[in-house]
Amino acid sequence: MNVIEVEDVWKKFKIPHERRATVLDTIASTLSLFGGRRSTFEEFWALRNVTFEVPKGRSIGIIGENGSGKTTLLRLIANVMKPDQGRIHVDGRVAPMLELGLGFNPELTVRENIVVFGAIMGLKRNELRKQTDSIIKFAELKRFEDAPLKTLSSGMQMRLGFSVAIETNPDIFLIDEALAVGDMEFQQKCLSKFKEFKNSGKTIVLVSHALDLVKEFCESSLLLSRGEVINFGETGTVVNDYIRRVHGP
Amino acid sequence: MCMLEHREVIWILVKKDFKIRYRNSALGFLWSLLNPLSMMVILTLVFSLLLRVGIQNFPIFLLAALLPWRFFQIGTMQSTGSIAGNPSLVKKIYLPRYLLVLTSNLASFVSFLIEFVAFLPIMIALGMTVTIHILLLPAIMIIEFLVVLGISLALSALNIFYRDFYQIWEIALQLGFFLSPVFYDPSIIPERYQFYYSLNPMTKIIESTRKVLFHNVLPTVFDLAVPLLAAIILLTIGYGIFRRLEPRFAEVT
Repeated sequence: MNVIEVEDVWKKFKIPHERRATVLDTIASTLSLFGGRRSTFEEFWALRNVTFEVPKGRSIGIIGENGSGKTTLLRLIANVMKPDQGRIHVDGRVAPMLELGLGFNPELTVRENIVVFGAIMGLKRNELRKQTDSIIKFAELKRFEDAPLKTLSSGMQMRLGFSVAIETNPDIFLIDEALAVGDMEFQQKCLSKFKEFKNSGKTIVLVSHALDLVKEFCESSLLLSRGEVINFGETGTVVNDYIRRVHGP
Repeated sequence: MCMLEHREVIWILVKKDFKIRYRNSALGFLWSLLNPLSMMVILTLVFSLLLRVGIQNFPIFLLAALLPWRFFQIGTMQSTGSIAGNPSLVKKIYLPRYLLVLTSNLASFVSFLIEFVAFLPIMIALGMTVTIHILLLPAIMIIEFLVVLGISLALSALNIFYRDFYQIWEIALQLGFFLSPVFYDPSIIPERYQFYYSLNPMTKIIESTRKVLFHNVLPTVFDLAVPLLAAIILLTIGYGIFRRLEPRFAEVT
Protein backbone atom coordinates (compact mmCIF):
# COMPACT_ATOMS: atom_id res chain seq x y z
CA MET A 1 0.00 0.00 0.00
CA ASN A 2 1.23 3.50 -0.82
CA VAL A 3 0.94 6.49 1.50
CA ILE A 4 1.83 8.97 -1.21
CA GLU A 5 1.10 8.60 -4.90
CA VAL A 6 2.13 11.27 -7.34
CA GLU A 7 1.04 10.57 -10.87
CA ASP A 8 2.06 12.57 -13.93
CA VAL A 9 1.98 15.88 -12.08
CA TRP A 10 2.56 19.19 -13.85
CA LYS A 11 2.65 22.58 -12.17
CA LYS A 12 2.80 25.91 -13.92
CA PHE A 13 3.58 29.36 -12.52
CA LYS A 14 3.17 32.72 -14.12
CA ILE A 15 6.05 35.16 -13.79
CA PRO A 16 4.80 38.64 -14.53
CA HIS A 17 7.25 40.89 -16.32
CA GLU A 18 5.47 43.98 -15.23
CA ARG A 19 3.36 43.45 -12.19
CA ARG A 20 -0.22 44.52 -12.55
CA ALA A 21 -1.31 44.91 -9.00
CA THR A 22 -4.28 47.23 -9.19
CA VAL A 23 -7.56 47.24 -11.06
CA LEU A 24 -6.58 50.48 -12.74
CA ASP A 25 -3.41 48.90 -14.11
CA THR A 26 -5.46 46.09 -15.55
CA ILE A 27 -7.92 48.46 -17.15
CA ALA A 28 -5.04 50.52 -18.50
CA SER A 29 -3.29 47.54 -19.98
CA THR A 30 -6.54 46.15 -21.39
CA LEU A 31 -7.24 49.48 -23.04
CA SER A 32 -3.73 49.52 -24.40
CA LEU A 33 -4.71 46.50 -26.46
CA PHE A 34 -5.64 49.22 -28.86
CA GLY A 35 -2.10 50.29 -29.35
CA GLY A 36 -0.16 50.64 -26.11
CA ARG A 37 2.37 48.65 -24.22
CA ARG A 38 0.91 45.52 -22.68
CA SER A 39 2.19 43.92 -19.58
CA THR A 40 3.25 40.38 -20.28
CA PHE A 41 4.03 37.32 -18.29
CA GLU A 42 6.06 34.24 -18.83
CA GLU A 43 4.76 30.79 -18.15
CA PHE A 44 7.10 28.61 -16.30
CA TRP A 45 6.75 24.92 -15.59
CA ALA A 46 7.92 24.33 -12.04
CA LEU A 47 7.18 20.62 -12.29
CA ARG A 48 6.92 18.48 -15.37
CA ASN A 49 5.61 14.98 -15.59
CA VAL A 50 6.53 14.00 -12.05
CA THR A 51 5.58 10.46 -11.03
CA PHE A 52 6.60 8.48 -7.97
CA GLU A 53 5.16 6.69 -5.00
CA VAL A 54 6.05 6.11 -1.37
CA PRO A 55 4.99 2.78 0.16
CA LYS A 56 3.78 2.67 3.74
CA GLY A 57 6.53 2.79 6.36
CA ARG A 58 9.16 4.15 4.01
CA SER A 59 10.71 7.60 3.78
CA ILE A 60 11.77 9.56 0.77
CA GLY A 61 14.35 12.29 0.17
CA ILE A 62 13.95 14.97 -2.45
CA ILE A 63 17.19 16.49 -3.70
CA GLY A 64 18.28 18.79 -6.49
CA GLU A 65 19.66 22.26 -7.15
CA ASN A 66 17.89 25.51 -6.11
CA GLY A 67 14.83 26.15 -8.21
CA SER A 68 14.46 22.54 -9.28
CA GLY A 69 10.92 22.29 -7.89
CA LYS A 70 11.51 20.57 -4.54
CA THR A 71 9.50 22.97 -2.42
CA THR A 72 6.72 23.18 -4.99
CA LEU A 73 6.43 19.42 -4.92
CA LEU A 74 6.24 19.48 -1.12
CA ARG A 75 3.51 22.12 -1.26
CA LEU A 76 1.49 19.99 -3.65
CA ILE A 77 1.80 17.00 -1.32
CA ALA A 78 0.72 19.26 1.58
CA ASN A 79 -2.35 20.21 -0.51
CA VAL A 80 -1.49 23.87 -0.17
CA MET A 81 -1.28 24.16 -3.97
CA LYS A 82 -3.10 22.28 -6.68
CA PRO A 83 -1.37 20.69 -9.69
CA ASP A 84 -2.35 21.89 -13.18
CA GLN A 85 -2.36 18.33 -14.41
CA GLY A 86 -2.04 14.93 -12.84
CA ARG A 87 -3.13 13.39 -9.59
CA ILE A 88 -1.81 13.35 -6.05
CA HIS A 89 -3.08 10.97 -3.44
CA VAL A 90 -2.01 11.20 0.17
CA ASP A 91 -3.17 8.74 2.78
CA GLY A 92 -3.03 9.95 6.38
CA ARG A 93 -2.50 13.08 8.43
CA VAL A 94 0.18 15.36 7.06
CA ALA A 95 2.30 17.71 9.17
CA PRO A 96 3.99 20.07 6.75
CA MET A 97 7.00 22.03 7.89
CA LEU A 98 7.57 24.37 4.99
CA GLU A 99 10.12 27.16 5.29
CA LEU A 100 10.55 26.69 9.03
CA GLY A 101 6.97 27.40 9.95
CA LEU A 102 3.68 25.66 10.38
CA GLY A 103 1.32 28.51 9.73
CA PHE A 104 2.07 30.18 13.04
CA ASN A 105 0.83 33.64 13.82
CA PRO A 106 3.50 36.07 15.08
CA GLU A 107 1.05 37.95 17.30
CA LEU A 108 -0.12 34.90 19.22
CA THR A 109 1.82 33.39 22.09
CA VAL A 110 3.64 30.07 21.91
CA ARG A 111 0.81 28.34 23.75
CA GLU A 112 -1.93 29.88 21.58
CA ASN A 113 -0.10 28.93 18.40
CA ILE A 114 0.10 25.33 19.57
CA VAL A 115 -3.65 25.29 20.17
CA VAL A 116 -4.42 26.73 16.72
CA PHE A 117 -2.11 24.34 14.91
CA GLY A 118 -3.33 21.36 16.90
CA ALA A 119 -6.93 22.17 16.03
CA ILE A 120 -6.08 22.48 12.33
CA MET A 121 -4.38 19.10 12.57
CA GLY A 122 -7.65 17.72 13.87
CA LEU A 123 -6.73 17.08 17.51
CA LYS A 124 -9.55 17.00 20.02
CA ARG A 125 -9.44 19.54 22.81
CA ASN A 126 -8.55 17.10 25.58
CA GLU A 127 -5.85 15.44 23.47
CA LEU A 128 -4.45 18.86 22.80
CA ARG A 129 -4.35 19.88 26.44
CA LYS A 130 -2.30 16.81 27.27
CA GLN A 131 0.03 17.40 24.33
CA THR A 132 0.72 21.11 24.89
CA ASP A 133 3.04 20.71 27.87
CA SER A 134 5.13 18.01 26.26
CA ILE A 135 5.46 20.16 23.12
CA ILE A 136 6.73 23.12 25.14
CA LYS A 137 9.08 20.88 27.07
CA PHE A 138 10.56 19.30 23.96
CA ALA A 139 11.05 22.72 22.37
CA GLU A 140 12.67 23.94 25.61
CA LEU A 141 10.47 27.00 25.60
CA LYS A 142 8.99 26.83 29.08
CA ARG A 143 10.14 30.36 29.88
CA PHE A 144 8.62 31.72 26.69
CA GLU A 145 5.29 29.90 26.65
CA ASP A 146 3.28 33.10 27.08
CA ALA A 147 5.44 35.31 24.90
CA PRO A 148 4.22 36.37 21.46
CA LEU A 149 5.88 34.31 18.76
CA LYS A 150 7.39 37.39 17.11
CA THR A 151 9.67 37.88 20.12
CA LEU A 152 11.32 34.48 19.63
CA SER A 153 14.52 33.93 17.67
CA SER A 154 14.29 32.01 14.41
CA GLY A 155 15.99 29.04 16.02
CA MET A 156 13.38 28.99 18.77
CA GLN A 157 10.56 29.21 16.22
CA MET A 158 12.04 26.28 14.35
CA ARG A 159 12.22 24.28 17.57
CA LEU A 160 8.61 25.05 18.28
CA GLY A 161 7.60 24.11 14.75
CA PHE A 162 9.43 20.83 14.92
CA SER A 163 8.05 19.91 18.33
CA VAL A 164 4.48 20.74 17.39
CA ALA A 165 4.70 18.85 14.14
CA ILE A 166 6.11 15.71 15.71
CA GLU A 167 4.01 15.71 18.88
CA THR A 168 0.67 16.13 17.11
CA ASN A 169 1.29 12.63 15.89
CA PRO A 170 1.03 12.88 12.10
CA ASP A 171 1.29 9.94 9.70
CA ILE A 172 3.43 11.84 7.25
CA PHE A 173 5.98 14.49 8.11
CA LEU A 174 7.05 16.88 5.36
CA ILE A 175 10.24 18.79 6.12
CA ASP A 176 11.84 21.46 4.00
CA GLU A 177 15.41 22.21 5.13
CA ALA A 178 14.22 22.71 8.65
CA LEU A 179 16.99 21.49 10.85
CA ALA A 180 19.66 23.85 9.62
CA VAL A 181 18.67 26.63 12.05
CA GLY A 182 18.75 24.53 15.20
CA ASP A 183 21.81 24.25 17.38
CA MET A 184 23.76 20.97 17.51
CA GLU A 185 22.13 19.74 20.68
CA PHE A 186 18.62 20.25 19.37
CA GLN A 187 19.56 18.66 16.05
CA GLN A 188 20.62 15.55 17.94
CA LYS A 189 17.30 15.51 19.77
CA CYS A 190 15.45 15.86 16.47
CA LEU A 191 17.40 13.06 14.87
CA SER A 192 16.55 10.64 17.64
CA LYS A 193 12.89 11.72 17.37
CA PHE A 194 13.12 11.07 13.66
CA LYS A 195 14.33 7.56 14.28
CA GLU A 196 11.53 6.90 16.72
CA PHE A 197 9.04 8.30 14.22
CA LYS A 198 10.40 6.18 11.40
CA ASN A 199 10.55 3.05 13.52
CA SER A 200 6.86 3.38 14.29
CA GLY A 201 6.21 2.83 10.58
CA LYS A 202 5.56 6.41 9.59
CA THR A 203 6.72 8.41 6.60
CA ILE A 204 9.14 11.29 6.34
CA VAL A 205 9.46 13.33 3.19
CA LEU A 206 12.71 15.21 3.48
CA VAL A 207 13.83 18.04 1.24
CA SER A 208 17.44 18.75 2.03
CA HIS A 209 20.85 19.66 0.79
CA ALA A 210 22.32 17.77 3.73
CA LEU A 211 22.94 14.59 1.76
CA ASP A 212 24.16 12.64 4.79
CA LEU A 213 20.84 13.23 6.47
CA VAL A 214 18.97 12.03 3.41
CA LYS A 215 21.16 8.92 3.27
CA GLU A 216 20.51 8.21 6.92
CA PHE A 217 16.72 8.48 6.91
CA CYS A 218 15.41 7.85 3.43
CA GLU A 219 15.33 4.47 1.71
CA SER A 220 14.58 6.04 -1.63
CA SER A 221 15.22 9.44 -3.15
CA LEU A 222 14.04 11.61 -5.96
CA LEU A 223 16.46 13.79 -7.90
CA LEU A 224 14.85 16.81 -9.53
CA SER A 225 16.32 19.20 -12.04
CA ARG A 226 14.38 22.01 -13.66
CA GLY A 227 11.12 20.46 -12.62
CA GLU A 228 11.80 17.03 -14.05
CA VAL A 229 12.60 13.76 -12.36
CA ILE A 230 16.18 12.88 -13.28
CA ASN A 231 16.46 9.85 -11.10
CA PHE A 232 14.26 7.99 -8.66
CA GLY A 233 15.40 4.97 -6.72
CA GLU A 234 17.56 3.73 -3.90
CA THR A 235 19.05 6.72 -2.03
CA GLY A 236 22.74 5.77 -2.34
CA THR A 237 22.54 5.55 -6.11
CA VAL A 238 20.50 8.74 -6.52
CA VAL A 239 22.80 10.76 -4.24
CA ASN A 240 25.86 9.55 -6.13
CA ASP A 241 24.20 10.47 -9.39
CA TYR A 242 23.56 13.99 -8.04
CA ILE A 243 27.15 14.40 -6.86
CA ARG A 244 28.45 13.17 -10.23
CA ARG A 245 26.26 15.70 -12.03
CA VAL A 246 27.52 18.57 -9.89
CA HIS A 247 31.21 17.69 -9.95
CA GLY A 248 31.35 16.14 -13.37
CA PRO A 249 32.37 12.52 -13.95
CA MET B 1 -22.08 18.73 6.43
CA CYS B 2 -18.37 19.41 6.58
CA MET B 3 -18.84 22.53 8.71
CA LEU B 4 -19.84 20.35 11.67
CA GLU B 5 -16.73 18.23 11.30
CA HIS B 6 -14.67 21.41 11.56
CA ARG B 7 -16.49 22.90 14.53
CA GLU B 8 -13.51 22.51 16.83
CA VAL B 9 -11.19 24.39 14.45
CA ILE B 10 -13.87 27.00 13.80
CA TRP B 11 -14.24 27.71 17.49
CA ILE B 12 -10.49 28.03 18.02
CA LEU B 13 -10.02 30.24 14.97
CA VAL B 14 -12.84 32.52 16.14
CA LYS B 15 -11.12 32.88 19.49
CA LYS B 16 -7.81 33.58 17.75
CA ASP B 17 -9.43 36.25 15.58
CA PHE B 18 -10.93 37.87 18.62
CA LYS B 19 -7.64 37.89 20.50
CA ILE B 20 -5.69 39.38 17.62
CA ARG B 21 -8.24 42.14 17.07
CA TYR B 22 -7.88 43.48 20.57
CA ARG B 23 -4.25 42.61 21.26
CA ASN B 24 -1.93 45.50 22.09
CA SER B 25 -4.81 47.77 23.00
CA ALA B 26 -5.36 48.80 26.59
CA LEU B 27 -9.13 49.12 26.43
CA GLY B 28 -9.55 46.13 24.12
CA PHE B 29 -13.15 45.17 23.62
CA LEU B 30 -14.34 48.36 25.34
CA TRP B 31 -13.65 50.15 22.05
CA SER B 32 -16.43 48.10 20.53
CA LEU B 33 -18.80 49.77 22.96
CA LEU B 34 -17.27 53.26 23.03
CA ASN B 35 -17.47 53.57 19.27
CA PRO B 36 -21.26 53.14 18.89
CA LEU B 37 -21.79 55.10 22.10
CA SER B 38 -19.95 58.12 20.71
CA MET B 39 -21.75 57.73 17.36
CA MET B 40 -25.03 57.72 19.24
CA VAL B 41 -24.17 60.90 21.11
CA ILE B 42 -22.91 62.71 18.02
CA LEU B 43 -25.79 61.73 15.73
CA THR B 44 -28.37 62.47 18.40
CA LEU B 45 -26.87 65.92 18.91
CA VAL B 46 -26.84 66.63 15.19
CA PHE B 47 -30.20 65.23 14.16
CA SER B 48 -32.29 65.58 17.26
CA LEU B 49 -31.05 68.85 18.72
CA LEU B 50 -29.57 70.80 15.81
CA LEU B 51 -31.63 69.67 12.83
CA ARG B 52 -34.70 68.82 14.92
CA VAL B 53 -35.86 65.85 12.78
CA GLY B 54 -38.63 65.30 15.29
CA ILE B 55 -38.30 61.57 15.86
CA GLN B 56 -39.36 60.66 19.37
CA ASN B 57 -36.69 58.90 21.38
CA PHE B 58 -34.03 59.32 18.74
CA PRO B 59 -31.22 57.43 20.58
CA ILE B 60 -33.22 54.18 20.55
CA PHE B 61 -34.37 54.77 16.99
CA LEU B 62 -30.71 55.16 16.06
CA LEU B 63 -29.20 52.33 18.10
CA ALA B 64 -31.67 49.81 16.68
CA ALA B 65 -30.14 50.56 13.28
CA LEU B 66 -26.59 51.43 14.21
CA LEU B 67 -25.74 48.07 15.79
CA PRO B 68 -26.77 45.92 12.79
CA TRP B 69 -25.11 48.43 10.47
CA ARG B 70 -21.87 48.19 12.43
CA PHE B 71 -21.92 44.42 12.10
CA PHE B 72 -22.42 44.74 8.36
CA GLN B 73 -19.59 47.24 8.07
CA ILE B 74 -17.07 45.59 10.39
CA GLY B 75 -17.94 42.04 9.33
CA THR B 76 -17.34 42.69 5.63
CA MET B 77 -14.30 44.94 6.15
CA GLN B 78 -12.48 42.59 8.52
CA SER B 79 -13.06 39.53 6.40
CA THR B 80 -11.90 41.23 3.20
CA GLY B 81 -8.37 40.82 4.53
CA SER B 82 -8.98 37.45 6.13
CA ILE B 83 -7.20 35.49 3.38
CA ALA B 84 -4.62 38.08 2.37
CA GLY B 85 -3.84 38.81 6.01
CA ASN B 86 -3.17 35.19 6.91
CA PRO B 87 -0.44 34.19 4.46
CA SER B 88 1.04 31.59 6.78
CA LEU B 89 -2.26 29.73 7.11
CA VAL B 90 -2.73 29.84 3.34
CA LYS B 91 0.77 28.94 2.21
CA LYS B 92 2.01 26.55 4.83
CA ILE B 93 -0.78 24.29 5.87
CA TYR B 94 -3.96 22.96 4.42
CA LEU B 95 -7.29 23.88 5.84
CA PRO B 96 -10.41 24.66 3.85
CA ARG B 97 -9.87 28.37 3.11
CA TYR B 98 -13.47 29.39 3.41
CA LEU B 99 -13.08 28.69 7.15
CA LEU B 100 -10.87 31.77 7.43
CA VAL B 101 -13.66 33.94 6.05
CA LEU B 102 -16.35 32.20 8.06
CA THR B 103 -14.44 32.52 11.33
CA SER B 104 -13.66 36.19 10.70
CA ASN B 105 -17.39 36.80 10.20
CA LEU B 106 -18.24 34.77 13.28
CA ALA B 107 -15.83 36.83 15.39
CA SER B 108 -17.54 40.01 14.18
CA PHE B 109 -20.91 38.41 14.87
CA VAL B 110 -19.96 37.55 18.45
CA SER B 111 -18.82 41.15 18.87
CA PHE B 112 -22.20 42.30 17.55
CA LEU B 113 -24.06 40.09 20.00
CA ILE B 114 -22.02 41.37 22.94
CA GLU B 115 -22.57 44.97 21.84
CA PHE B 116 -26.26 44.28 21.61
CA VAL B 117 -26.47 42.73 25.05
CA ALA B 118 -24.46 45.64 26.48
CA PHE B 119 -26.68 48.26 24.88
CA LEU B 120 -29.97 46.63 25.75
CA PRO B 121 -30.01 47.97 29.33
CA ILE B 122 -29.05 51.43 28.03
CA MET B 123 -31.93 51.31 25.54
CA ILE B 124 -34.33 50.20 28.25
CA ALA B 125 -33.09 52.96 30.54
CA LEU B 126 -33.73 55.44 27.73
CA GLY B 127 -37.33 54.31 27.55
CA MET B 128 -37.48 51.31 25.21
CA THR B 129 -40.21 48.79 25.90
CA VAL B 130 -39.32 45.14 25.41
CA THR B 131 -42.08 43.16 23.72
CA ILE B 132 -42.51 39.54 22.68
CA HIS B 133 -41.47 40.61 19.16
CA ILE B 134 -37.87 40.63 20.30
CA LEU B 135 -37.90 36.84 19.89
CA LEU B 136 -37.77 37.45 16.14
CA LEU B 137 -34.44 39.24 16.47
CA PRO B 138 -32.21 36.13 16.23
CA ALA B 139 -33.79 35.28 12.87
CA ILE B 140 -33.08 38.77 11.55
CA MET B 141 -29.51 38.57 12.83
CA ILE B 142 -28.93 35.23 11.14
CA ILE B 143 -30.23 36.55 7.82
CA GLU B 144 -27.84 39.47 8.15
CA PHE B 145 -25.00 37.07 8.94
CA LEU B 146 -25.67 35.18 5.69
CA VAL B 147 -25.69 38.44 3.71
CA VAL B 148 -22.36 39.39 5.29
CA LEU B 149 -20.89 35.94 4.60
CA GLY B 150 -21.90 36.04 0.93
CA ILE B 151 -20.30 39.44 0.39
CA SER B 152 -17.22 38.48 2.44
CA LEU B 153 -16.54 35.35 0.38
CA ALA B 154 -16.46 37.39 -2.81
CA LEU B 155 -14.43 40.28 -1.38
CA SER B 156 -11.83 38.19 0.43
CA ALA B 157 -11.08 36.20 -2.73
CA LEU B 158 -11.01 39.22 -5.06
CA ASN B 159 -8.85 41.13 -2.59
CA ILE B 160 -6.06 38.57 -3.01
CA PHE B 161 -5.65 39.48 -6.64
CA TYR B 162 -6.49 43.16 -6.42
CA ARG B 163 -5.94 44.91 -3.12
CA ASP B 164 -8.08 47.75 -4.51
CA PHE B 165 -11.21 45.92 -3.48
CA TYR B 166 -10.55 46.90 0.10
CA GLN B 167 -10.59 50.59 -0.80
CA ILE B 168 -13.52 50.19 -3.16
CA TRP B 169 -15.54 48.48 -0.48
CA GLU B 170 -14.65 51.16 2.05
CA ILE B 171 -16.15 53.79 -0.25
CA ALA B 172 -19.17 51.60 -0.95
CA LEU B 173 -19.76 51.33 2.79
CA GLN B 174 -19.62 55.09 3.23
CA LEU B 175 -22.25 55.38 0.53
CA GLY B 176 -24.20 52.51 2.05
CA PHE B 177 -24.40 54.28 5.39
CA PHE B 178 -26.45 57.02 3.74
CA LEU B 179 -28.37 54.65 1.46
CA SER B 180 -29.55 52.58 4.42
CA PRO B 181 -32.08 53.90 6.91
CA VAL B 182 -29.60 54.22 9.78
CA PHE B 183 -30.32 57.76 10.99
CA TYR B 184 -33.57 58.49 9.12
CA ASP B 185 -36.89 56.82 8.50
CA PRO B 186 -37.20 55.06 5.11
CA SER B 187 -40.52 56.84 4.53
CA ILE B 188 -38.58 59.98 3.52
CA ILE B 189 -37.49 58.21 0.32
CA PRO B 190 -39.81 59.21 -2.59
CA GLU B 191 -42.33 56.55 -3.58
CA ARG B 192 -40.89 55.96 -7.07
CA TYR B 193 -37.45 55.11 -5.67
CA GLN B 194 -38.76 52.83 -2.94
CA PHE B 195 -38.36 49.68 -5.03
CA TYR B 196 -34.71 50.34 -5.83
CA TYR B 197 -34.14 51.45 -2.30
CA SER B 198 -35.34 48.15 -0.88
CA LEU B 199 -32.95 46.22 -3.15
CA ASN B 200 -30.25 47.12 -0.64
CA PRO B 201 -30.45 44.09 1.67
CA MET B 202 -29.53 46.25 4.66
CA THR B 203 -32.66 48.39 4.19
CA LYS B 204 -35.06 45.64 5.19
CA ILE B 205 -32.74 44.20 7.82
CA ILE B 206 -32.53 47.58 9.57
CA GLU B 207 -36.24 48.22 9.11
CA SER B 208 -37.12 44.85 10.62
CA THR B 209 -34.80 45.37 13.58
CA ARG B 210 -36.27 48.78 14.16
CA LYS B 211 -39.84 47.46 13.96
CA VAL B 212 -39.02 44.92 16.64
CA LEU B 213 -37.07 47.21 18.98
CA PHE B 214 -38.53 50.64 18.37
CA HIS B 215 -41.96 50.53 16.75
CA ASN B 216 -42.97 47.37 18.61
CA VAL B 217 -44.63 45.79 15.60
CA LEU B 218 -43.92 42.55 13.75
CA PRO B 219 -41.94 42.79 10.50
CA THR B 220 -43.95 41.62 7.50
CA VAL B 221 -43.08 38.44 5.60
CA PHE B 222 -41.92 40.69 2.79
CA ASP B 223 -39.54 42.51 5.15
CA LEU B 224 -37.74 39.25 5.87
CA ALA B 225 -38.12 37.56 2.48
CA VAL B 226 -36.23 40.30 0.63
CA PRO B 227 -32.98 40.08 2.65
CA LEU B 228 -33.23 36.29 2.82
CA LEU B 229 -33.46 36.10 -0.95
CA ALA B 230 -30.56 38.57 -1.19
CA ALA B 231 -28.56 36.37 1.19
CA ILE B 232 -29.13 33.29 -0.96
CA ILE B 233 -28.15 35.12 -4.14
CA LEU B 234 -25.07 36.71 -2.51
CA LEU B 235 -23.95 33.39 -1.03
CA THR B 236 -24.28 31.65 -4.39
CA ILE B 237 -22.32 34.33 -6.23
CA GLY B 238 -19.81 34.83 -3.41
CA TYR B 239 -19.05 31.14 -3.02
CA GLY B 240 -18.85 30.78 -6.81
CA ILE B 241 -16.19 33.49 -7.04
CA PHE B 242 -14.37 32.06 -4.03
CA ARG B 243 -14.24 28.54 -5.44
CA ARG B 244 -13.03 29.77 -8.79
CA LEU B 245 -10.17 31.82 -7.37
CA GLU B 246 -9.20 29.54 -4.47
CA PRO B 247 -6.75 27.23 -6.31
CA ARG B 248 -4.36 30.14 -6.86
CA PHE B 249 -4.50 31.64 -3.36
CA ALA B 250 -1.21 30.11 -2.22
CA GLU B 251 0.59 31.35 -5.33
CA VAL B 252 -0.46 34.96 -4.94
CA THR B 253 -0.59 35.72 -1.21
